[in-house]
Amino acid sequence: MNIRKYLKSACLLVVFLVRSFFAFSQDGAITGTVTDDRGAPLPGVTVTAVGGTGVTATGINGKYSINAGAAKTLRFSFIGFAPKEIALTGQRTVNVTLLESAQSLNAVVVVGYGTARKKDLTGAVANVTAKDFSPGVINNPMQQIQGKVAGLAITQPGGDPNANLIVRLRGQTSLSGGQTPLIVVDGIPLDNPNQLSNISASDIASYDVLKDVSATAIYGSRGANGVIIINTKKGAAGRTKVEYNGYVGIDKLRGDFNLLSADEWRAAVKDVPKIDPETIAALDKGANTDWLKAITRTGFSHSNNLAVSGGTETFTYRASLNYMNQQGIVINTGKEQIGLRFNAENKSFDDKLTIQTGLSYNQSNRKLADYNIFEYVNATPPTFPVKNPDGTYFGYSDYHEQNPVAQQMLQTNTSTDYLTQLFAKADYKLFDFVTIGTQGSISHLNTQSGFFQPVLPGVGNKNSANQINGNVDSKKADVHLNFLKDFGKHHLSGTLVYEYNDFVNNNFSAAGQEYLVEDLTNNNLGAGNSAKNAIASYKEMFLIESYLARAVYNYNSTYYLTASVRRDGSNKFGANNRWGTFPSVSAAWRIKNESFLKDVSWLDELKINAGYGIVGNQDAITPYSTLLTLGSGGRFYTPGNPSNLYPDSYTPNQNANPDLKWERRVGKNIGFNFGMFNNRLSGSINAFDDKTKDLLFTYTVPVPPYVYSSILANVGDLRNKGLEVQLSGDVVRGSSFSWSTSGQITFTKTTITSLSGKFNGTEISTDKVPIGVAQGRGYQNNYLTYLTVGQSPYVFYLPKFAGLSPTLDPSTNSNQLYYDADGNKVADITKAKYNYIDPSPKFNYGISNTFNYKQLSLNFFLRGVYGQKLFNNYDNIVSNYTRLPGNNVTKNALTNGIRGSQTASDYWLQNASYLKLDNVTFSYTFNKVKGLESLRLYVTGTNLLTFTPYKGMDPEVVNGDSAQAYIDANMYGYGYYPKSKTFILGASVAFK
Amino acid sequence: MKYSNKYIKLGIVLALCISSSCKKLEPEVYSRVQNVNFWQTPDQIAAGIAPAYSQLRNIPDGNFHDLQEQPSDELVVPARGNDWLAAGQHIQLFTHTWNAQTQQVQDTWTDLYSGVTKINFILSIVNNLQPAPPTLPAINAELKTLRALYYYWLMDLYGNVPLVTDFNTNPNAVKNSTRKEVYDFVEKEIKDNMALLSTDKSLNTYGRLNKYSAFCILAKLYLNSNQYVGTTKYPETIAACDSVINAGYSLEGNYFDNFAQENQNSKENIFVVPFDNINIGGNNWAAQSLHYQNDKNYQIAGGGWNGYCTNAEFYSHFDTTSTYSVRGKNTYRTYNDERAGQFIIGQQYAEVATYPPNANVLSSSTDATLKIKDALTGLDLAFNPDFTDISSPAASFRLAGLRSVKYWPNPGVQTSQSNDMVIFRLADVLLMRAEAALRNGSASNTDLGYVNQIRLRAYSGVQKYAWAMSDLTLNNLLYERGRELAWENWRRQDVIRFGTFANARAPQKLLDADKHWEIFPIPVNQHTANPNLVQNPGYPSF
Repeated sequence: MNIRKYLKSACLLVVFLVRSFFAFSQDGAITGTVTDDRGAPLPGVTVTAVGGTGVTATGINGKYSINAGAAKTLRFSFIGFAPKEIALTGQRTVNVTLLESAQSLNAVVVVGYGTARKKDLTGAVANVTAKDFSPGVINNPMQQIQGKVAGLAITQPGGDPNANLIVRLRGQTSLSGGQTPLIVVDGIPLDNPNQLSNISASDIASYDVLKDVSATAIYGSRGANGVIIINTKKGAAGRTKVEYNGYVGIDKLRGDFNLLSADEWRAAVKDVPKIDPETIAALDKGANTDWLKAITRTGFSHSNNLAVSGGTETFTYRASLNYMNQQGIVINTGKEQIGLRFNAENKSFDDKLTIQTGLSYNQSNRKLADYNIFEYVNATPPTFPVKNPDGTYFGYSDYHEQNPVAQQMLQTNTSTDYLTQLFAKADYKLFDFVTIGTQGSISHLNTQSGFFQPVLPGVGNKNSANQINGNVDSKKADVHLNFLKDFGKHHLSGTLVYEYNDFVNNNFSAAGQEYLVEDLTNNNLGAGNSAKNAIASYKEMFLIESYLARAVYNYNSTYYLTASVRRDGSNKFGANNRWGTFPSVSAAWRIKNESFLKDVSWLDELKINAGYGIVGNQDAITPYSTLLTLGSGGRFYTPGNPSNLYPDSYTPNQNANPDLKWERRVGKNIGFNFGMFNNRLSGSINAFDDKTKDLLFTYTVPVPPYVYSSILANVGDLRNKGLEVQLSGDVVRGSSFSWSTSGQITFTKTTITSLSGKFNGTEISTDKVPIGVAQGRGYQNNYLTYLTVGQSPYVFYLPKFAGLSPTLDPSTNSNQLYYDADGNKVADITKAKYNYIDPSPKFNYGISNTFNYKQLSLNFFLRGVYGQKLFNNYDNIVSNYTRLPGNNVTKNALTNGIRGSQTASDYWLQNASYLKLDNVTFSYTFNKVKGLESLRLYVTGTNLLTFTPYKGMDPEVVNGDSAQAYIDANMYGYGYYPKSKTFILGASVAFK
Repeated sequence: MKYSNKYIKLGIVLALCISSSCKKLEPEVYSRVQNVNFWQTPDQIAAGIAPAYSQLRNIPDGNFHDLQEQPSDELVVPARGNDWLAAGQHIQLFTHTWNAQTQQVQDTWTDLYSGVTKINFILSIVNNLQPAPPTLPAINAELKTLRALYYYWLMDLYGNVPLVTDFNTNPNAVKNSTRKEVYDFVEKEIKDNMALLSTDKSLNTYGRLNKYSAFCILAKLYLNSNQYVGTTKYPETIAACDSVINAGYSLEGNYFDNFAQENQNSKENIFVVPFDNINIGGNNWAAQSLHYQNDKNYQIAGGGWNGYCTNAEFYSHFDTTSTYSVRGKNTYRTYNDERAGQFIIGQQYAEVATYPPNANVLSSSTDATLKIKDALTGLDLAFNPDFTDISSPAASFRLAGLRSVKYWPNPGVQTSQSNDMVIFRLADVLLMRAEAALRNGSASNTDLGYVNQIRLRAYSGVQKYAWAMSDLTLNNLLYERGRELAWENWRRQDVIRFGTFANARAPQKLLDADKHWEIFPIPVNQHTANPNLVQNPGYPSF
């Protein structure tokens, strides 16, 4: 057993060190141990006898011994931690816990292709380290920093362990694509930000969020949506460390559709017009089913991460193994994840050659929810039973209505991700100021999904099965040169990089129907009706080639100047538009270093920085958009050719645009950083003003003359302005009690400034582009949101609701009224006056509070959004009395008076501001546990309370990821997995 | 000088690294076809032209079907509680209260115009191939005629639509043309290309336009000419019909063989849209109409969707007298007029129904266990033509209306029936010939003979059902067309032509106040994409 060997040698090492330490301790000396707030020993802490002469430092186990002499006070100081002074009153042992300072200026921040100390930053970069992570049932590591960083909005669309988060940095920067920031994990840019869900949260040491364009410009064409750099934990020289982090948790349904119960249904249907007792009797099967409860459960989850790290002066490593199993709150859903991560660094040739390597492998087995069941829950009368008396599922079938429990339990709907990432880097110090190196990485994501739909009771469908095997591969290589030289007070450093990225995506699928033996599910695809077998495959590629240079200069750590330029080529664009140049410049002035502030002792830091840069966007579009390519136009019948009766036809699969070019974002940022009162209060304020030009967007075009009603083109500009304030303070800094608080607030305003451009040499200009559509049967093409010059993206354009009429209007089959241009109430919605209504939030914010009392710690975290509006499409459909008795309705439907067809008006646009008690953690750190180096136990509750005027299930919905922004639908493929609240019991253990 | 040596080395290393990996960044295309590499062989050209027709798959059973049938008197989709309410769109279509946002009004435009623009694309490619394919003149003639058919329908439905015939048209130059301009274009295109169209009626041109299909378009254009442009063209209609009638098509022995699962050998069908359960999806005829539990007699796996139906008023024009036979506990009926069998009525029984639908229909049984029940409500599954509401939550309303099995469902198939759907067939041409002659004042025994060919086919040759000359009236022809061509996408223009389009009718349709409903509005999404477009008269302007 290797681990045991390591443990043994580590123990021996500790014993040796401790002994040697005590050998030097003198009689009459004061001794003690310095630990951090989690009980981990802190080596290297400077211990000063104030008023005396003794100075020492803590050893590797955090222990020290000092001859205090006549000193009355001991001062403990350590970089990154708040210093502490302890009065000496004759005690011989002084144990001290140091708390990390709210802002540790010397912390190293990764800025892309290099690192910088926090105090030397010239751009807007936020850094979150492990101590600030929110614990909880984490299925995507980004959840750890939700609400913690000004300008970074993270939205969870539902409680689905397999759903993707929505991550937006500084608002809406573009109109196409995922708009998720580029995520770089240990130097490997993820091909798709959603791959992050495959990475164990416990392995992550820090997040560096590159916010302003001058900071992200170094990523050129990939930096348009911002960049988040994630660093995993690394080994450190010293004895081998074995750590365990884990939790067990439960997930419970939070929120309710407020559908009628069976008895409420029975009472309500009596009053339905034209109803006859036979109908009610026929639909009342005698059951009392809460269908939402029927498809949900308490989900149990546990996560375990075991890590071993250590090394010598020249070789360090860390290896970790993680296993997580999370049951979804919806029956038969969940995620199981197994992962392995290893990284190591070796220095040789007098530290001239540094070789780093990293490898990780993760397997995520997912059981997926069939989102149709959320619609069935709303459709099925509560008087239907889940099961028959004999235990079989009660079967029925109607339009978008069948037994949701049978559907979710009987079908197989799985997906397994296998993510392998390999990384290696070699740097050689040519001279003491020049390092040359090369770096390469490979990322391979294989996703295998499987599906089997058996014959469902009461539905009478044919069974069907499929398997899909997809690969997302990327290779990246670079050659880089770094130099770093000081000339007196002048510090100059620079970076030159050549980089090449190659991306290939492919997939293969096979499907069949009509299997005789359903037990085989989708494991023997060929065994069905051979005429129904179907295969398909796809493959695409693209390349990005880049040259970049960056120079950083500072004078006396007071005046800073950073300039960079990057040139990227991407073959997603037309031959004449492939290359783009992305420059940036930024400067900072650390005013605190000026002589006139030297003596202002209460001020620890004061810095102003400003930046300007240009980034490009190519992630938003798929390859080949510039080419006139042909895809299948469907098969056609050629009875004259019996050997191939149904050949495939070929037709243009898009309105090709050979003129496509980079979307460019030109950004300006000014920032202000400060720390005062011994860094008890620190913060930063950033203001930005970004303009995105030549927006890539799928614009609506007329048919005729086009074949398709949309085209990808560079049309229009948008402007994004914002202000971010981040503050943290240590309100109380006592020796046994402390209280620290931090918060952030972000204001953003996005405005479309132009919607004109060129396509094929033709001027395109439009004042209004339709985007979001109301969901619901018959609603197709009923646009709710638009792009309009002068408005924010996804602005609603709706008639103003004017109350209800006693009768149904024949033109709309609805009793809803609207105001026309003259202020009269009209029933015909086509005669109504439409108004623009901006749904975008005015600001969002997060507040965190931590209280420490001795070994106890309490943290609670609140986050919120203000000024957001949502179109409650769910309510629009389900809170409609006319659905009775065949479909269920919400309680709201009994009182809102709406009859007939649903229509879209501002009645359904509801205030969806919210404040959530997102996380409460209570922890206890044990001081001395036999056999353990440290032990911390904690209890966390997440998503506990929501304060909102919004009438829907939850005001936090899919937002900005798709054309359906601000539209809260819960059916027709836009169903939401209900949200959960979570309670976990966790432990962090370091073994001796 | 030690340093400079190293710098040079470093420079060389960097330069090598960069130059060796420098590529031109040409994308490699793997699973798609670049247009420049296509159109090389006759088979590729055929596969490149085929999509011009595939757009027709949206015609017989989709949005187009809704627009051409629901505003007439023969097809209604009532809202059965919340089911088929669909934001009131079907109610709007039946009661003539649609608007520029109604889904079918918006989508049919795109369906038809995509056909036009695909043809514009194909024409721009095939006419620039080097060397030109030897069949180029015939390809051009066929595609231009097909484009004329799409324009015919656009003109018929929307009136004043933009005429775009060049793939590279500046989108800012696209404006409404008048209905007359489109009418003239359709007429001229068909006449200009007629000579080059194939006269082959065999399977070699199956599912494609031949010369006789072109005459059918002309016949439709001329017969409705008075409605389109205010001038009658009855002699021209008669001439166009005669060109088809004399081409050698003949009526099928059984009416339903034109619509059967394997109907490609029909001698009566002139132009069809081929469908196939596996290869060409889109024919969901039976599912659209039949009830969820009709899987028990019509073998629709997964059941129908309980939507499209016809009501008592229209059904009353069918002769439903039958001969009955008793086998065991069951009584079966065979309709005297075959065509009455296309609608199913009354109690449904759990016994596999047999083809053709006119004969041996299980109409009653003393075996109560055979009665199919509506699974959701437990009611006996009995289709009832008498309903006066267009929307009702009553359980019994789920059974309102008679359902169509004209395109006989394929056993075990829910969607994507294999029956090819008929656009033009001889019976329609014969009836058009008789009607044009009658309207022209020139109706003869020839015309009466044409009508009686159809009637006697329906009545299995029993002479007493033949019409006398005095029976050949416009009113009788309107309902003979209804019986013969029910749900075949001609009823809207027929009732406009016969003047009954505006009438009040059950369920719940009121008399139209004016004639603006005879054409549909320009869809609102098209105006959004092209603000040049002007709304049709009678609808709120954009």
